[in-house]
Amino acid sequence: MASATVADSRVADGKWIARGAERTSLPRFLLWLSPWAVVLAAGVYAAGLCLYYGLNQTNMDNRFAFGLWIFLDLGMIALGAGAFFTGFLVYILKRAELRPILNTAVVVGFICYSGAVAILMIDVGQPLRAWFTFWHPNTHSMLTEVTFCISCYLLVLCLEYIPLLLRNRQLRKLPSFLVFEHQLHKLVPVLAGVGALLSFFHQGSLGGLYGVLRGRPFAFRQGIFIWPSTFFLFILSAIASGPSFLMLVTAAVEKLTGKRLVPVELFRRLGFISGVLLGIYVAAKSIDTLIWINFTSPAVGFAPWQYYMYKPFGTPILFAEIVLFGLLPAFLLTFRPTAERRGWLLSAAALACGGVLLNRFILTVQTLALPTLSFDEFLQYTPSWQEVASFTGVIAYGVIIYSLSYRYLPMFAPAKGEITDVSRH
Amino acid sequence: MFPGIDGFRWTVDHIVFLSLFFAVALTILATVVSAAWRTVRDFRTHRAIEFCWQSGFSELPQSDRRCRHELAGRVISRTCDNAFDCRHCSQYSQFAVLPASGTAHDLGLNYPEDRCYHRGHTWVKAEQDGTVTVGLDPLADHLLGSPDAVRMPDLGSEIELNQTAWRMSKNGNEIRVRAPLEGTVTGVGGPKQGWYLKMHPRLDPHDPATLRHLLRGAELHGWLTHELERLQLQLRPSQAAPSLADGGVLLPDLMDALPDADWDTVLADTFLEL
Repeated sequence: MASATVADSRVADGKWIARGAERTSLPRFLLWLSPWAVVLAAGVYAAGLCLYYGLNQTNMDNRFAFGLWIFLDLGMIALGAGAFFTGFLVYILKRAELRPILNTAVVVGFICYSGAVAILMIDVGQPLRAWFTFWHPNTHSMLTEVTFCISCYLLVLCLEYIPLLLRNRQLRKLPSFLVFEHQLHKLVPVLAGVGALLSFFHQGSLGGLYGVLRGRPFAFRQGIFIWPSTFFLFILSAIASGPSFLMLVTAAVEKLTGKRLVPVELFRRLGFISGVLLGIYVAAKSIDTLIWINFTSPAVGFAPWQYYMYKPFGTPILFAEIVLFGLLPAFLLTFRPTAERRGWLLSAAALACGGVLLNRFILTVQTLALPTLSFDEFLQYTPSWQEVASFTGVIAYGVIIYSLSYRYLPMFAPAKGEITDVSRH
Repeated sequence: MFPGIDGFRWTVDHIVFLSLFFAVALTILATVVSAAWRTVRDFRTHRAIEFCWQSGFSELPQSDRRCRHELAGRVISRTCDNAFDCRHCSQYSQFAVLPASGTAHDLGLNYPEDRCYHRGHTWVKAEQDGTVTVGLDPLADHLLGSPDAVRMPDLGSEIELNQTAWRMSKNGNEIRVRAPLEGTVTGVGGPKQGWYLKMHPRLDPHDPATLRHLLRGAELHGWLTHELERLQLQLRPSQAAPSLADGGVLLPDLMDALPDADWDTVLADTFLEL
């Protein structure tokens, strides 16, 4: 009786998987999802505690108002930039060779942005009053711009995800879904253009947020018109690391499934785009750092060495950010002999993604940890278990959504006349 | 705007920022509304089914999209780019006059020559009274035997080409049979009658152009050979190497004879479920 039920559920599961696509058995898939589901459940519980009891469940305080969650937010939004940037390249600049990675870009973008919005909801609290930000906007705040743009862009990502969702084998049997998917898909270039505009501004505003902190000389920057230099550096670093992250995600899925999902040449192309942009970012970041060290910081009464006298934030971290996680991967991604070897390419992509995460970590944590007034002390912050559980819960959510999308949606559907989702054997 | 906010004063910042934001929000909203409106319009103008079919057709493997003229041996290789609707093919006449070179041999299935055949395994027979009769072809009959249940369309309902004409179920599998022609349902039969539908076609069935998209003659033989090869490969034991039988005829009621085969895939390929 029990075995018949198991067999029935396997048959039912198979009917949701695209025809011709080879996927692992249902029990193995559920086994893969189980630990992630446990982590997600712990995250939901921790988030519930924070929403019910408030931020006293965290180790943040008035001085350390940004912690692990904001680092996660900034990191996910930067890595999710591959979504808008790939859409921009494919639909606006007509780079058709990137089309096989487009669905992955949409799913990764959706996961990153929805995860970031979820964690922001816990951090800000009072989710039932979320609409206040739209009815009482502080138009002088970078955060208002961020809120508006992220809300709109998440909506755009949902709309880009819906056509993929409606191509599921069972959902497409409903003619109205299929026709709506077809019509929505025809309008995706409009969404890609809007998405690029929104992403450009909110990535920049997130960076600008730090650049306008006059009371935090470590982060404060001068810039152009109303935008500090961090506005542009955030955009550059996000669009440089986004393609690398897409490459890493796809390579990880290829490794786990034992299938070649996208043409090898596509990895090189993504690596080259990432490398060139990373090179430009490193150059801009270096110039910005020199201006900050020599002009901006002395003008507000701080010598640069004062920022790097507290462990673990010594000068090696500046070296790591610019050279180890910036210049080195930019070279490896664009230098043909290394870019043609998968191992080097993926290592460089990992360094590029690590670089953007390190940058967001430094701007969030080091900025707040450093003393700025004579009676201030160097602060240390360790996140509470509720913060860590919410953080890992969002990562588990991402893995689960991606796994379900890979299993049940045509993520790597071959273009006309092409076959890509094939086993190596 | 913003009622209830004490002391609120409009500034240029507000106007620029909010105009930009609402322009973006309206663009997104307009995109969704436009897609929904176009969907409704497509259903009203009967273009929806065509969209669905063409969307799925483009995802069929290339080997399943072979042109009828390749199947008949009139051309060496050609892939259909008209979703099997030869009525809209600009090159149909150019190839149709070429001699067929396929070799006919007995496939063990009786396909009467007074009918035309759709690639979704249905046949169409034009009647003298201007109607057509539609049924399942012998290969589909051999697979299914007696279906467990049949769900026919209502009398008088309009059916589009390649739309689901009727549904059947067998051993827990749902089968959706595609309509080989567009028209109005005037009668329903079933497996016992030997036919399933009687239709009043939208176009004159005695005009050769109306049934041009359906297979007959040498191309029918080429297509069946390909279908039987596919069937043999799909129904082989799971551990066996790919091999083809060099003789024999198809057993009746294969779904009951081979209950452990991957019928989900076989039926989907046979009835062009996309």
